[in-house]
Amino acid sequence: MNLVRAELLKIRTTSLWWIFGIVLLPLWALSLAFNWFQYRGSSPAGGDIVDDAATPVAVASDLYTTGQFFGILMVLLIGAILMTNEFFHLTATSTFLTSPRRGQVILAKYAAAAIAGAVVWVVLTALNLILVPLLLDAMELGSQLDETAVWRAIALNLLAFLLWAVLGVGCGVLLRSQMAAALTLSLLYVIGTQAITLVFFLLTQNVAEWIGNLQVLVPVTASQLMISGTDLPGSPPQWVGAVVLIGYAVVTGLVGTLITKSRDIS
Amino acid sequence: MSGADSAEIVVERLTKQYRQLKAVDDLSFSVRSGRVTGFLGPNGAGKTTTLRMLLGLVAPTAGTATFGGRRYVDLTDPVRQVGAVLEASSAHRGRTGRNHLRVVCAAAGLPQSRVDEVLKLVGLEPAATRKFKGYSLGMRQRLGIATAMLGDPRVLILDEPANGLDPEGIRWMRDLLKGLAAEGRTVLVSSHLLGEMQLLADDVVIVAAGRLIQQGPVEAVLGGAGTARVRVRTPQPAELTAALAALNAGVQPESDGSLMVTGVEPAQVGNAAFRAGVELHELTGERADLEKVFLELTAGKADIR
Repeated sequence: MNLVRAELLKIRTTSLWWIFGIVLLPLWALSLAFNWFQYRGSSPAGGDIVDDAATPVAVASDLYTTGQFFGILMVLLIGAILMTNEFFHLTATSTFLTSPRRGQVILAKYAAAAIAGAVVWVVLTALNLILVPLLLDAMELGSQLDETAVWRAIALNLLAFLLWAVLGVGCGVLLRSQMAAALTLSLLYVIGTQAITLVFFLLTQNVAEWIGNLQVLVPVTASQLMISGTDLPGSPPQWVGAVVLIGYAVVTGLVGTLITKSRDIS
Repeated sequence: MSGADSAEIVVERLTKQYRQLKAVDDLSFSVRSGRVTGFLGPNGAGKTTTLRMLLGLVAPTAGTATFGGRRYVDLTDPVRQVGAVLEASSAHRGRTGRNHLRVVCAAAGLPQSRVDEVLKLVGLEPAATRKFKGYSLGMRQRLGIATAMLGDPRVLILDEPANGLDPEGIRWMRDLLKGLAAEGRTVLVSSHLLGEMQLLADDVVIVAAGRLIQQGPVEAVLGGAGTARVRVRTPQPAELTAALAALNAGVQPESDGSLMVTGVEPAQVGNAAFRAGVELHELTGERADLEKVFLELTAGKADIR
């Protein structure tokens, strides 16, 4: 597909990808260190496993998907920038002259962003597959790579990267300004999610228990639920997380495409 | 694909109503192939909006704009049929000129070999691997033309292409566009540089305040308005003035000592001087220029709206 190739070329021919790479790798390393210290402290290796969240499989799933939080933030931004660049650098004119069928351009951007997301996932997963077995060995848990649940978590992590990339493009259409999009999405992703989690916590504590179940509607929570290696008690099933994310991706995508189709490019 | 007229541009009753302003108002004109057509109008006349509607970037409120009967968005393979250089045509600041062209090639499904061909055409090879942010205005215009020529289109549309070009660049552009028209292509160029247009255009379409003022071949537009003038230099101005008065010509002494004669042809002036035995040192017919005609035609219609 020509348009997808063109969009991928757009990503490759600017400094965007390696800047994101430089930013992402230290963040990944930090996340890995953080995860390791967290689990090492409560190492279940002693055999006295009470907490479901700390089963060896759950720990391994979590470690093998290290970097998800920041990786997805990067993918979200790449998706958004793929769209906002067109207006920031006034290339929308050239793009829509080359391919006046705008819906196809947006579709190509979705595909290119998803491929970029997949690449980030491949890099992070490769790094994790190299380093995490060493950490798990150190915790005397074994690599856990013979557990299907671990591989399922890794695969679902890919799905999360793909869906967030698509979500990013949709958000880029809605927030046309480059700076506004980058700032809004970063802040919403990092701080907004924490704030909403807090609000949900307070509502659950003070109003009604069932409100807690709605927390899965928060996109970040949804993707975390989706990859949690085991079905934790008290949480909705994993597929609900996937459905919520797909829902967001489809809605922003449709709205974004409709807006782009009717917009005057000047 | 029908042959000759597939490159003809037809604008029919085109209208664009913005919230406060009717940028283009019931505008109709046509552009023939094999000729350079100048699209002229004062600032804010709706030229750019018209071109953007023609290219499917802006949705018209009413009317149509077509290439050989088809809207731009309905063209199969538009890049191979229509090339456009718009004022805001731009590339990502951090991308090289060459990579910009590669992106367009990829999107349009054109062979990558076209990139080097168009770079050569516009003489941008030495700067091809430099980033767009380091380009001068002239280089950006050249990259815009290179982009438009990637698909070797039969129709070329340029919005103020002379902006930012130095005299050599303007001359280069003029020769290029005339050459492309001579190959049978349709070339539509918007501009407010009237002197340049007089040298470049075969036909003109003049608009003001979003409406058509006049269209036709340059000579016809020039002939239909304004009067020809003849500049004469003579050591016997009084005798010549008397001789010309008999022809009902207007004679105006100029500050440099020459006489400006209106209402007669150069041959008539020479004949009158010969008969009166007046010695002439200069006899120059001055054609009405596009600028004067343009200002006459658009007078009072070009207010800030």
